[in-house]
Amino acid sequence: MFYRQSIIVFGFVLPAVVCGAVTGGGLLLKSKAVASFQQKQSLHKASLANNRNSQAIEAQISQKRAHVDRWKALLDKEMKNTLTSELKEISDKLPAKEFTQTAVEWPNGSGGLAAASAQNSSQVRLAFRATYRAMQKAFIELETRMPQLQLQEIKIDPSPSSASTLNFQVTYTAWEK
Amino acid sequence: MVANQHPAGLNPLQRFRQAGAILRGTSRASNPAWYQSALDLDLQLHLRVDGTAVESVLYDRKTKTWSAGPALDDTCATDLALIPAFAAQVLATARSAGASSIGIVLLIADEFATSELKPELDNPGALAELRGTIENEPKAVLDDASVSAEESSWRLIPYPAAGSETIATTVCISRRWASFLDELRRFGEENNFPIITRAISAPLICLLALGNLKTDAVTRPLIAILPYPRFTVLAFFNEHGDLRLLRTLQHRGQRRPTNLRHATSTTAAALELADPEIFLFNVGDQADPQLAADVQIVFPATSIREVQWQETPYRTPGVSSPEPVIAALISAAPETPIAASHTFTVLRGEGWAAQDFLPVSPEAAEYYPSRGEMKLLRSARYARLAFAAATVMALAWVGLAMFQMIRQPEWSFKSEDAQFGKQMLAKVTGDKTRIEHWDNLLEDRSKAWATMELLSVMFPERSGFLTKTFAHSVKTDPAPGQAKIGFIREWKITGLAREAALERLAALNTRDGISGVFNEVAQLTGNQAYRADLPSRSLVVNVRTLENSSYKPGPEDEMNALDEATYPFSFDLTITQRFESADPMAVIAAKAP
Repeated sequence: MFYRQSIIVFGFVLPAVVCGAVTGGGLLLKSKAVASFQQKQSLHKASLANNRNSQAIEAQISQKRAHVDRWKALLDKEMKNTLTSELKEISDKLPAKEFTQTAVEWPNGSGGLAAASAQNSSQVRLAFRATYRAMQKAFIELETRMPQLQLQEIKIDPSPSSASTLNFQVTYTAWEK
Repeated sequence: MVANQHPAGLNPLQRFRQAGAILRGTSRASNPAWYQSALDLDLQLHLRVDGTAVESVLYDRKTKTWSAGPALDDTCATDLALIPAFAAQVLATARSAGASSIGIVLLIADEFATSELKPELDNPGALAELRGTIENEPKAVLDDASVSAEESSWRLIPYPAAGSETIATTVCISRRWASFLDELRRFGEENNFPIITRAISAPLICLLALGNLKTDAVTRPLIAILPYPRFTVLAFFNEHGDLRLLRTLQHRGQRRPTNLRHATSTTAAALELADPEIFLFNVGDQADPQLAADVQIVFPATSIREVQWQETPYRTPGVSSPEPVIAALISAAPETPIAASHTFTVLRGEGWAAQDFLPVSPEAAEYYPSRGEMKLLRSARYARLAFAAATVMALAWVGLAMFQMIRQPEWSFKSEDAQFGKQMLAKVTGDKTRIEHWDNLLEDRSKAWATMELLSVMFPERSGFLTKTFAHSVKTDPAPGQAKIGFIREWKITGLAREAALERLAALNTRDGISGVFNEVAQLTGNQAYRADLPSRSLVVNVRTLENSSYKPGPEDEMNALDEATYPFSFDLTITQRFESADPMAVIAAKAP
């Protein structure tokens, strides 16, 4: 029985160990690959979800993107200059008898809708003597061109000097960047 | 032929490699004959040597036919140069017979000697142990210290009879034929053809024939006389058929021993075998015809039965001696009373009668793996294949799984791509937040032109109203912890009204009335801030009507619309619209991102 131990060791045990090691190595490799694949799957799934969400959000905001550039350009400009030039243009379009700007004032601090908001803002107080319809036209023009203006206060009083015109005193809150 | 080394001198790996070489280079794993007894093989060459001639007969176990075997000269026992030619003849004979092995059964009939065991070993329970000891260390068993294991071979023969003085005797045969058998086996190994040898004592085998020869009941002691050319064997059995004693009488040049008659009678008397039945086995042509008469002198009342082989079941054409046939048929036990005795049962069943006197030496046998080891080695070969197959299958499974994974689009997905998607989402989310923020801030929640339109809708021209003052203000209505801020819009209007306008004033002073006005403004201007149908908004209106103290009644046609004295009533109207923080137009409290 000189050979039995050698046969058991080299014929059974060693091949089993080698095959086991090779198989184990293969399984280890597979488990690592599976782990990596699952991580990639997770990333891929998350990425798909991100893409879907991005596309959904983009679909939501795409219509507004065109306005965003205009808003940005508007907000980038200094409000005082813009307001002055816009009022000048509006005034030029209206008859002087029907529309006259009588005052402009830039109060400090914030008020109206901006009082409790953290968003930057400024105030402007304007006074006009104008007919009702001319003033309404002027307001349409001004508030369309400058959507950042939010009416804070308006007072309309009869003009003592003319029966056809009224005195308008308006305070705006202007949103700023 | 594989050049093998004794495994004791090899390391474990070398032993395994040598075993593998034997497995591949020989038929030991596939041909079971290598590990079988010569008497179990299908083709057997029986060589009977009695000192005067060598009989060579071939036995085909499958067809149970006997034929003449290759001729063997007695000088082969001493002249090794003659053996290869004989071995080649044997091999050619076996191959021509289509056999895959051949058993060489050497029936030694030219010598037979007995010796006594050491008295201290006379223990029936130690018989099995003594059987092994005498093969390897005869000196430890025999009473004679001068024996030489190199020159002779001893085997134990038990005395199963109850009341025997000793448990066994020993039979000795010289190793004269050992080299001959070694060479035959070596020749077989060189040719990868099993030539299995067995050297048997012819008298011991011949004694087994008694089981077939005595068919009637055993009622008396028996004496078997087996005269060979050089010796005569006497076997004494008791009345139960059990062996009491084996004795050899050498002829010393005579045809029969001179003291046969005397020895037989005195031994029978010593063993107290009264009136024995005597069987005389005429096993050779040179037996003395007067032998029976000689014995009859001392056993006058006994009829001596001389065995005529031609009249027994062992009669076989072409075979002159009975021993080859008896040996070939050793596995078939006769159904006679004496064959059922303990002696014949153990002699046949336990192999005492057919013991191999010249077996392969233990050291030579160790060169090759045993039958169990060869089976184990062969199993290891299949096991390796199974392991390899399992490994390949496992790797294939792993590879397939890997391949299937690699085919998935996710496999080629990179973390950079995920990062890009995440960045894209963050960007569009940021854009959305910024857009929503500015969209909220820039909502038309408070516009002067729309407020003026409200005034126009409430008090159309020529409706009997004269508006004197109009004030509108907006202020926030903050709630702590809210992301959005609600606000309150308030209108305060004073004016004059005629009789016909009071109904309108009354309508405005109701929730439905003022809500209708606001909804109309929302519809006309498209300004959603005037929608009054949202649950997050509320409208409160309060109208106070008084008599105009400066009123001067007059014809209606002459009334100037701007003349305050033509209006009998004055009024002041207060409208409060509240936007809760849940309202879509509530102001975002945070700063733009």
